[in-house]
Amino acid sequence: MSTVAAVANPTGDEWKQPSRGMVGMACLIAAESAIFVIFVVAYIYYTGKSLSGPTPREVLNLPIFSTICLLSSSITVHFAVHELQGSRIGRFIAWLASTVLLGGIFIASTALEWYELIYHDGLTIRTNLFGTTFYSLVGLHASHVIAGLIMLGLALIFALQGKVNAHHTERFEVLSVYWHFVDAVWVVVFTVVYVLGR
Amino acid sequence: MEHNNESGQTAVHMPEPTAAPMALALGITLIITGMVTHVAVSILGVVLSIAASYKWFRAVLPVEAHEMVPVREEEIVLVTSRKTIERLPLSPIHRKLVPVETFRFSTGLKGGIAGGIAMIGPATLFSLLKFHSLWYAMNLMAAGGFVSWTQQSNEFLAQFHIEGLLAALAIHAVTSLLVGSLYGAMLPMFPRWPILTAGFLAPLLWTGLLASVLNIVSPILNERIDWFWFIPSQIAFGLVAGYVVNLDAKVRTRQFQSLPFVLRAGVHGAIEGDDAEQSRKDGEQ
Amino acid sequence: MATHTSAAAVAGLPQTMRRPGGVLSVVQEWVTTVDHKKIGLMYIGYALIFLVIAGAEALLMRVQLAVPNNHFVSPQVFNRLFTMHGTTMVFFVGMPILFGFGNYLVPLMIGARDMAFPRLNSFSFWISAFGGVLLYFSYFAGSGLYGAGTAPDVGWFAYAPLTSKVFSPGHSTDYWTLSVLLSGVGSIGTALNIVATALTMRCKGMKLSRMPLLVWIYVVMSGIAFVAVSPLTAAQIMLVIDRYLGGHFFDTQAGGSAVLWMHFFWIFGHPEVYILVLPAFGFANEIIPVFSRKAIFGYPAMVAASVGIAFVSLGVWAHHMFTVGMGPDANAFFTFSTMVVAVPTGIKIFNWLATIWGGNIRFATPMIFSIGFLFQFLIAGLTGVMLAVSPFDWQLGNSYFVVAHFHYVLVGAILFMIFAAFYYWYPKITGRMLSEKLGKWHFWLLVFGFHMTFDFMHVPGLLGMPRRVYTYEADRGWGDWNMIVSIGAIFQTISVLVFVYNLVRSYYKGEIAGPDPWDAWTLEWSTSSPPPSYNFAELPTVSSRRPLWDLKHPDDPDSNYE
Repeated sequence: MSTVAAVANPTGDEWKQPSRGMVGMACLIAAESAIFVIFVVAYIYYTGKSLSGPTPREVLNLPIFSTICLLSSSITVHFAVHELQGSRIGRFIAWLASTVLLGGIFIASTALEWYELIYHDGLTIRTNLFGTTFYSLVGLHASHVIAGLIMLGLALIFALQGKVNAHHTERFEVLSVYWHFVDAVWVVVFTVVYVLGR
Repeated sequence: MEHNNESGQTAVHMPEPTAAPMALALGITLIITGMVTHVAVSILGVVLSIAASYKWFRAVLPVEAHEMVPVREEEIVLVTSRKTIERLPLSPIHRKLVPVETFRFSTGLKGGIAGGIAMIGPATLFSLLKFHSLWYAMNLMAAGGFVSWTQQSNEFLAQFHIEGLLAALAIHAVTSLLVGSLYGAMLPMFPRWPILTAGFLAPLLWTGLLASVLNIVSPILNERIDWFWFIPSQIAFGLVAGYVVNLDAKVRTRQFQSLPFVLRAGVHGAIEGDDAEQSRKDGEQ
Repeated sequence: MATHTSAAAVAGLPQTMRRPGGVLSVVQEWVTTVDHKKIGLMYIGYALIFLVIAGAEALLMRVQLAVPNNHFVSPQVFNRLFTMHGTTMVFFVGMPILFGFGNYLVPLMIGARDMAFPRLNSFSFWISAFGGVLLYFSYFAGSGLYGAGTAPDVGWFAYAPLTSKVFSPGHSTDYWTLSVLLSGVGSIGTALNIVATALTMRCKGMKLSRMPLLVWIYVVMSGIAFVAVSPLTAAQIMLVIDRYLGGHFFDTQAGGSAVLWMHFFWIFGHPEVYILVLPAFGFANEIIPVFSRKAIFGYPAMVAASVGIAFVSLGVWAHHMFTVGMGPDANAFFTFSTMVVAVPTGIKIFNWLATIWGGNIRFATPMIFSIGFLFQFLIAGLTGVMLAVSPFDWQLGNSYFVVAHFHYVLVGAILFMIFAAFYYWYPKITGRMLSEKLGKWHFWLLVFGFHMTFDFMHVPGLLGMPRRVYTYEADRGWGDWNMIVSIGAIFQTISVLVFVYNLVRSYYKGEIAGPDPWDAWTLEWSTSSPPPSYNFAELPTVSSRRPLWDLKHPDDPDSNYE
């Protein structure tokens, strides 16, 4: 009984291939990036082309605090991965919880910003081109943040139930890569919408 | 399922069938169908999606659901259908070797550069004879790069312009390299008589490239091009490119190196598509 | 010659499950399956159903256009026919059939037991399938459940502002947007799965440099899908925002731009052509060497050319927009970039010729389809280069010349290679050979009908016949040409019927194939036909690009040559 293919030159014992989850996540990120690129291009293309007000300069304020929260959540999730790898579950839960909290603050302040814009400044998605592009770009990003928060939240619940251990490091790392991606997108969105677009 | 099973196993780990993905897909479709029918459909879709997500989630976490698929041993005999008896007695290998030697890709580029230089000759001759100027042909080519030059007179084109020189150099260099690399890519198909093939192919490639794009890239050149002079300069390119390629040594393809020594040395006569002289030399090294 | 053991399914396994009254259990088995082979087959089967539907739509259009001043269908129905034909053929025939083959073949060829994400695989299939069902549901409920049923009628590229609420009231356009959106999600999912499978599930010894070219091409094709299908998804989301939430992305009254939609659509639309044609190249890469009895010529060049095509294809989209008036710089750039595509494509054609050259050619049905592909793809490429020249395109843009050109690619190249793939892998999938005799009838009828239709379709285009007209006057001089084109369509229909008959008949009466009927070299032929659900009882180990050659010729293994 021989193996399927005759082994003329037996390969070394080591047969390493990339992690399945990481490759999948990289592909997902490539596809998502393409979606964001199209929305960012539309935003830039339509900057200053609105036929009526309000304009970004009139109504947008720099969301410095929520940006700091979101970006620092990238650091906390990184620490969480590190702690999980070392099987320090208590610290892992702490870092994970702070990540969820920081992400939650970001979403809450976005919601507040939108509330202000809609009820105070009268800017809706129908108002003008700025409204259309602003809400769809920021909303697309926010929906990704929410998706990430749901997954991180589930991980937190499982961790609190004591069902997470170091064996899950790889899966959690894949999730953390997604979270880093969401943060990186925010840097682009922030620059385009709040810095260049004003 | 990634286990490399030992021989004599009786079952294989496979992921367990589940309807959850199909249910989730249906749920999402229903949510979207609600957008074109009635909101109740969307609500049904949401409920189905949540239930399916949960089921899917349980199939993956905390451990991936598996089933054991029993294995039935079965003898599989793989034979080649080629009849070894029919093999020619002289050839101990049952492998067709074409081509055993070829040119390097860079040879094509070298030919392109040399041909590009050679092309300047007829082109300059043409400007001198027809317009009594060294620079006419060059400016004509450069005009593709400057929209404002489109309306210029022949006198203007006959004068020397530094931007004209630079633009013409750039255009000529790029096009020569492009044709050279195209020719280089085709070289393995025509391993013999490079001067002849280049003399034919290079002008063909030039004409093909130019005829198709000239009209939009450089309307001025299109208008004033003198095909009678242009074709000799293409042929000059081809002949020189072919000559340079011919000077370059052929390289053996990977197949050649693994031939038996007897064959490489040419003891049993020439290998197809190869000259015995050359292979004997290589064999003795 | 060598012997080895593999395994086949025992009775009671899914493939052989035939319990009395087991219709429900069969349905359950196919609905719940996560086996890449079954999902691949479902992809192929569902694509074949849509192929017949969209083919019937094409036939109706040809009947309408056969003679001038015809009133066989109304203009409204005609608009729906060409919209549905185009959308179906691209999103619900081309993509799924190629993903189906990819699903079936990629794990088998790299010596894996399943895809990297089997459940995602099932999800991707079902969401694309439901997308297709949603699209055709529009015939019954186009303007809303209580309105008269109408299908989308905005053309397969759905230019703005025709798609705005003002010009396209009711829901028919929404059906188009939403079903394409669903199919896009499925495509991304499958593409992700293919890349992950090829990169992480290879059997021992299968380095990237030993991967079969078909697998390489599927990886490249999936890569294009990420960066090309996603923009379409984004554009569809924008259109949904416009239509449902009152956004202004493509609303020219509020400063929006209709040209932006064209850019977004073609950023997807042109790479899509390469998504469809690359697997066709992949089939040729597997079939041509086996039937020429030679290893593929220039393996690294083939890989490089595929990657090259992928990159260049992302920079050519606006050659669909020469008639928009983009200015000379943009026109020149896109003319050039389009012509550059000819370089890697040319490399491929030369490599196939070099593979055939000097080979011991067997003219079995898969091979004759491949040879037809080579010729027809060349001609399609040449008319493509003609159209890439923008002044020429200004003259013939949106004429029947363009229709003839891209059908030459889609039918003459892609469909021919899909048929070749059917003849080549059918024995592996079912365990029985397709009839060679019927196959040759199929081929010659198709070649005859194809050339009759699409060669002559160039002529009314040159004479000025625009695409998408539902009829034309008798004095235009287009009548005779259109009659020839329509007659050709009948021959193509007959050939497809022969093919379908062959598929069904051979399933029951075909010659038993055995594991390796073509004396081929890739891993899928090392297991039984049809393969057991786990593919390989023992995971194989390879040491060259042609593991089965090594097995059959232990005295002269390929590994000495690579």
